[in-house]
Amino acid sequence: MQKTYVVIPRNCTGCRTCELACSMIKGTEGVFARSRINIYKVGEERYMQMTCLQCVEAACVKVCPTQALVRNELTGAIEVDEDRCVGCGLCEPACPFGHMHFDLDEGVPVKCDLCGGDPTCVKFCPHRALELK
Amino acid sequence: MYIYIDGKKISANDGETILAVANRNNIYIPTLCHHEALDDVGACRVCMVEITHKDWGGWTNLVTACLYPVEEGLVISTSSDAVRRSRGTTLDLLMARCPTSDVIRWMAEENGEISVRYEQVDDGSKCIMCSLCVRACEKMGCNAIGTVGRGHDKKIAPPFFENPENCIGCGACAAICPTGHIEMKDTRTTREIWEKKFDFVACEVCGEPVMTEEYRDYAIANRDLPADYYTTCSACKKKKLASHFDKVGS
Amino acid sequence: MGIANLKKLEARRSALHKAHENVKTQVRVCSGTGCAALGAFEVYDALVEESKKAGLPVQVELAPCGKDKDPIFVSLTGCQGFCQIGPLVHILPEDILYTGVKVSSVKDIVGKTLADGQVIDKLLYKNPEDKKRLKGRADIPFYKGQELVALEGCGSVAADSLDSYIASGGFSSLAKALKMDPDQVIAEVEKSGLRGRGGGGFPTGRKWRSCVNATGDERFVICNGDEGDPGAFMDCCIMEGDPYRVIEGMIICAHAVGSSTGFIYVRHEYPRAVERLSLAVKTCEENGLLGTKILGSDLNFDISVARGGGAFVCGESTALMRSIEGSVGEPRAKYVRSVQRGFRDKPTVLNNVETFACVPSIINEGSDWFASRGTEKSSGTKAFCLVGKVVNTGLIEVPMGTKLRDVVFGIGGGIIDGRPFKAVQTGGPSGGCLGENYLDLPVDFDALAEAGSMMGSGGMIVMDDRTCMVDVAKYFLNFLMEESCGKCVPCREGVYQLHALLDKLSRGEGEPQDLEKIQRLGKEIQVSSLCGLGKSAPNPVLSTLKNFREEYEAHVNDKRCPAGVCRDITTFTIDPDKCTGCLVCKKACPPDAISGEKKQVHVIDQDKCTQCGACRLVCKFDAVVTS
Ligand SMILES: Cc1cc2nc3c(=O)[nH]c(=O)nc-3n(C[C@H](O)[C@H](O)[C@H](O)COP(=O)(O)O)c2cc1C
Ligand code: SF4
Ligand code: SF4
Ligand code: SF4
Ligand code: SF4
Ligand code: SF4
Ligand code: SF4
Ligand code: FES
Ligand code: FES
Repeated sequence: MQKTYVVIPRNCTGCRTCELACSMIKGTEGVFARSRINIYKVGEERYMQMTCLQCVEAACVKVCPTQALVRNELTGAIEVDEDRCVGCGLCEPACPFGHMHFDLDEGVPVKCDLCGGDPTCVKFCPHRALELK
Repeated sequence: MYIYIDGKKISANDGETILAVANRNNIYIPTLCHHEALDDVGACRVCMVEITHKDWGGWTNLVTACLYPVEEGLVISTSSDAVRRSRGTTLDLLMARCPTSDVIRWMAEENGEISVRYEQVDDGSKCIMCSLCVRACEKMGCNAIGTVGRGHDKKIAPPFFENPENCIGCGACAAICPTGHIEMKDTRTTREIWEKKFDFVACEVCGEPVMTEEYRDYAIANRDLPADYYTTCSACKKKKLASHFDKVGS
Repeated sequence: MGIANLKKLEARRSALHKAHENVKTQVRVCSGTGCAALGAFEVYDALVEESKKAGLPVQVELAPCGKDKDPIFVSLTGCQGFCQIGPLVHILPEDILYTGVKVSSVKDIVGKTLADGQVIDKLLYKNPEDKKRLKGRADIPFYKGQELVALEGCGSVAADSLDSYIASGGFSSLAKALKMDPDQVIAEVEKSGLRGRGGGGFPTGRKWRSCVNATGDERFVICNGDEGDPGAFMDCCIMEGDPYRVIEGMIICAHAVGSSTGFIYVRHEYPRAVERLSLAVKTCEENGLLGTKILGSDLNFDISVARGGGAFVCGESTALMRSIEGSVGEPRAKYVRSVQRGFRDKPTVLNNVETFACVPSIINEGSDWFASRGTEKSSGTKAFCLVGKVVNTGLIEVPMGTKLRDVVFGIGGGIIDGRPFKAVQTGGPSGGCLGENYLDLPVDFDALAEAGSMMGSGGMIVMDDRTCMVDVAKYFLNFLMEESCGKCVPCREGVYQLHALLDKLSRGEGEPQDLEKIQRLGKEIQVSSLCGLGKSAPNPVLSTLKNFREEYEAHVNDKRCPAGVCRDITTFTIDPDKCTGCLVCKKACPPDAISGEKKQVHVIDQDKCTQCGACRLVCKFDAVVTS
């Protein structure tokens, strides 16, 4: 059974452990901005975890000229096939939610791929604010 | 069908190239002009492998793995002496042409045979004429750049060496170039590539660049998405959505 | 006046034959490129004009119902081969060959020869050996030893006249082929042993057979008339001089392989060939020889004439097909043969002009007739362009297997000024050079390849002792370097580096390891390049290195060019014992570096000398020496 990634904002304390874990595991060496999950403060003591929704009809997939964005049927995540990506960067502005990031230095997009089915952010969240159900 | 790569028996499908089968089986064959999403042209010649067959009476041949279609019983060597010599010569020649390219030097070192030094052609160019940029641009449907001239003087350039009319400043060519030959200069508000200047669409919230104006127009015209997707930067989109969710949530 | 069926063709032919029999004298004015440049068209006009004025019954067309008695038929033919001494006027049946004919000579030709049957001595060919005047082709060494098959009509039929071609037997081969099964036609071509004349020598019959066996709903027949080899002009002569033969060969092929669309791809620089072929195609269409139901059979076939892309590499099969498709004429890398997937990815037969021109004779005379000529593995005859330092240059055709010696010293009349023979270069720019020890080599595909050269399309450049092999290799490499399409690395960069190494040698800067480097790089370019251009580009240097190694070593070790060609390492001096003080070199020296009074020994001022070699060329006493 494919599991679903869920965020539970009311558990989130804004500790940003998830961002750190994500940017570590994804090789961006703790650069928070490159984390594929981002925490936004939306009010007094209120936080919102923002990451790719793995949309059913994904805009990023739709604009890609080379079918480099493909859904992993096992995890449900949309993954970047870097070998197929030509680096046009269109997927970034195409994502209506801002979850696609095109890395200009590497020439490929960077997005949440659910860590192949075992999300690091979920593992590291000390407050059970992220879950895979 | 079955083929043999470096002594290993491997199953392969009709119509596949040697490279595709090797890649699938994690057997490394160096490439410079191959790209999964683009048509192969066989230009760089570094993917050379040696093939033979039990029915060929000992006859062997050097072929490019990216183009050669597999056939039943094909015996392939990815690093025979002949392969190393051919690949070594190709890389030596490229090193002479693009002495400043790290990628080429690394690949040559890996092949292990930087024996012959040729007269360096140091015109500062790192272009190895793999034509990936041209094919990527073609894939975008822009055809803004192409090859000009022939022989040793062949160059990648826009038609007539002028500002490429069809270029939308997407940057795919620069991203795909294996040697980093294509210069793309970005400031907060402008992008310059192929000597053509573009203005960025500024995020309507924070003013950070989203994409070039030409690219936005191209996207609106060619991809079926609402025009207002292209008005805001990713960070502001996320921020906006976060507070929206918060409101909906509470 | 169409030729709707075989009967009508034969009726037309017999009428033309009758007209031909009536003709008392035939005057064939060569209008090949060489003669045309020397004023052949003016000569022709003057001949017709003058004859009319003289009241002679002159005809410019074969008139089947001619009313004149004993008419004189004056025609413009394709190249008659011996361009060097053009414009040529060949008069039959007497076999009088007038050479160097000018408009001013026309009055004499009409008055004396045509009206009175006299031979004008001073217009005849003068044999350089004994200064004797020789009357006709039968007497002239250049024509002896030749055997014309592909060039049969070139120089004899009126180039732009369908009637003339038919009268000479044209389209009887097609008529015969149409009565045969396609399979039988292919079997004939197979049995004849015909191999492609465009370079590779691939068996033509086998190519046609593979095309038939390939799957595809459409098949194409393409004639390769790109002829990009510098100095080669046999295909040009055939296309201009006997266009109908090429068309006939193509129609027979179309019948054999089941094609309905053909192309003739003509080199960009051959506007006249384009013009003649286009006219010939149109005439054939009008006469039912192209189009639907050819000669009343079920065969439908159209031919379009396409102009070349202007680059040498456009002659390569995949580049050529792309060029006709409308893309840039660059070779396409693939491991599928074009007989299976060629033009528009459909099965395609691509053959050279000369190859197609051989086909009508094979069908007409039979495969045995063709196979009885030439050698076992290279049957038939082959056209060559004989050029360079030979006495007689021009277009020739000899049976395969003829010895190089017979070509160079027999037909070619030996080396100019009696200098020593050094080498003959065959195979076009990517061919090789063969030295004296190969003079008895029988010229055929395999013998040439074994000797390190190749047949190529049939260029033959003769070189004397004043030719430097390093310089020759450099010259061809330079050509190939400029003509490389630049797509693949080994050819684009490798040929450039080979050329740079040769240039280094010729500047006297060669190092001992350079020869090894050249050898190795050459070999790798051969095995690694994408198309035939790169694969064969190292030939000129590898073959000269193999056959003239001492000369290379002299450049490297002694910094000396034995032939006295490479300027940077050559000094020109005058041998005081031989110099007669004739002033000739002094006058010829462009930078005025030579001083000396009449009948006094001349001296070259080394500070002024630019090593151009002009003095050596003009000195009649071999007094200018190099070191
Ligand atoms: C660089 C290059 C140039 C060539 N140019 C010619 C040409 O000008 N004419 C020609 O007939 N064949 C040329 N060829 C050979 C053709 O590719 C092809 O083999 C030939 O036309 C086949 O005809 P054939 O079998 O009758 O010889 C060239 C090949 C290469 C590699
Ligand atoms: S780790 Fe958990 S609690 Fe901390 S910011 Fe992330 S989602 Fe919120
Ligand atoms: S990147 Fe954006 S468009 Fe693509 S799946 Fe994620 S949220 Fe959807
Ligand atoms: S950047 Fe890559 S993944 Fe994104 S749209 Fe372009 S090709 Fe597809
Ligand atoms: S930036 Fe311009 S030239 Fe480069 S791929 Fe995009 S449109 Fe083509
Ligand atoms: S610019 Fe880069 S991508 Fe384009 S041909 Fe040159 S090396 Fe290849
Ligand atoms: S071998 Fe030369 S001519 Fe042929 S594809 Fe390569 S670069 Fe072009
Ligand atoms: S990757 Fe195969 S030739 Fe370049
Ligand atoms: S052009 Fe007249 S003989 Fe060749």
